[in-house]
Amino acid sequence: MYPIFRILKFTFQDIARNFSLSFMTVFILILMLLSVNTLWAVDVLTGEAVRVVKNQIDVSLYFIPEATPKEVDNIKTYIQMFPEVTEVTIRSKEEVLNSFESNYKLNKEVLAALAELGGNPFGPTMVVKTKEPKDYKKVIEALDVPEYAHLIEARSFDDHEEALDRFQNITNRVERVGWGLAVLFAFIAFLIIFNTIRVAIYTQRTEISIKRLVGASNWFIRGPYLLESIIFTTVSIIATIALVFLALRWIDPYLSVVFPDNFSLTNYYKSHILWLFGLQTLAVLILTVVSSCLAMRKQLKV
Amino acid sequence: MTRLGRIAKIWYNVFMIKLHSVSKIYPAETVAVRNLNLQIDAGEFVSIVGQSGTGKTTLIKLLIAEERPTRGKIEIGDWDITRIGSRDIPFLRRQIGIVFQDFKLLPKKTVYENTAFALEVAGESGRRIHAVVPQVLEIVGLHGKADRYPYQLSGGEQQRVAIARALVHRPKIIVADEPTGNLDSINTAEIVSILSKINEFGTTVLLVTHNREIVNHLRRRVVTLNNGEIINDDREGKYRL
Repeated sequence: MYPIFRILKFTFQDIARNFSLSFMTVFILILMLLSVNTLWAVDVLTGEAVRVVKNQIDVSLYFIPEATPKEVDNIKTYIQMFPEVTEVTIRSKEEVLNSFESNYKLNKEVLAALAELGGNPFGPTMVVKTKEPKDYKKVIEALDVPEYAHLIEARSFDDHEEALDRFQNITNRVERVGWGLAVLFAFIAFLIIFNTIRVAIYTQRTEISIKRLVGASNWFIRGPYLLESIIFTTVSIIATIALVFLALRWIDPYLSVVFPDNFSLTNYYKSHILWLFGLQTLAVLILTVVSSCLAMRKQLKV
Repeated sequence: MTRLGRIAKIWYNVFMIKLHSVSKIYPAETVAVRNLNLQIDAGEFVSIVGQSGTGKTTLIKLLIAEERPTRGKIEIGDWDITRIGSRDIPFLRRQIGIVFQDFKLLPKKTVYENTAFALEVAGESGRRIHAVVPQVLEIVGLHGKADRYPYQLSGGEQQRVAIARALVHRPKIIVADEPTGNLDSINTAEIVSILSKINEFGTTVLLVTHNREIVNHLRRRVVTLNNGEIINDDREGKYRL
């Protein structure tokens, strides 16, 4: 039998005959991976919430009733030249009037006041969206020129400016805290996994010394433990994937109520599955293999 | 010389053990053995006796390269094990069968697996292992207990498994460190009888013991240690302490 098959045989024998220890090691790995995935999901949800809020912010420019469609189009063309601008929508004065009448159709006093004014008192409206909330200031400043200023009656951005600054501050802080937590978590995960593997190997120190005394080479002794690390990693990753998708099926209906556009964490995980679990597999594999090697180094000095 | 070449030389050369002025001094100047000069010819049965703490176990550890001498040189065949590299230690240990007082069996392996393990680590084929292990278990009287785990055996039976494991790769030397220390008189007699049989087939046996009856009964070479030094080396000796 080739040494590799013999090592494989010993690996599976060790796992089966030390089942409770193997089970505990995998269990702790799964707990750690679930915690990492929870943190990851929270980060994704925070990002999505920020995106949704940013998407709901825009600048509305209210033109004077006398502004002609050509003048409004000129301003639209001018604004669209800015790379920060993602969308510009124009509502004609007729559309604004119809929308107003529809909004207040149950309020007879408002409609009577509108009729008393006679004609259409509204001007066209332009709604501008940018990539980032901070870009709105640039758009507003760009329109603050004599050529266009006399056509703009009002701007809605002034009302949001302070709120936007505060929101930007909060998102920056959330991001920083998230990174801090991720680093802290990675450190704790390393310590727990390292100690779990070390304890698992420490309990078998007598066996390791006996193997050395009957002439087993270091790699013949290390082999099963390294393979065990790979098997534990694979099993824990597969179990974590199953548990994560099970949890997502339960969470997704709640998320669809909170987030528009049918946002789904399941879809996110499906589209990032290779990256997400590939990275976790690599990290856990490095952790378990390095822990095994470090823990065995002492036991192999016989 | 390649590793395989060295092994081949060890297998085919006369297995003589030579200790040249060997001393082992642990930190804080604790002298375990001092200036040992000893030659053991191939096929000899040598009892190494002495009271506790006289350096018997240290001598065994030096022979299997578990410890390195502070001074002096140890040769087994043509192999200078004083300068043995850590990668070569497993190859040395596969040439020497070792039996310990506390058996040192792998608790999660059966009698068969414990015995086979010594061959598996040496890279023997499965076919040969299946052929040899039952024969060796027959020799030590454990043929019907191959599937039992160590905890299911008596002390004497566990020691016989340890002997089977030491014997299975047909070593030229067997080192037994107090093999009867944990056994009753009946099991002790059986173990000594097995070791004598092994010696009759040409294997060098080094028996470390402080059992007066065994040594006197054997009437073979006796090396007596005291305070880490050889105080007596009789060709057909008795327990003198």
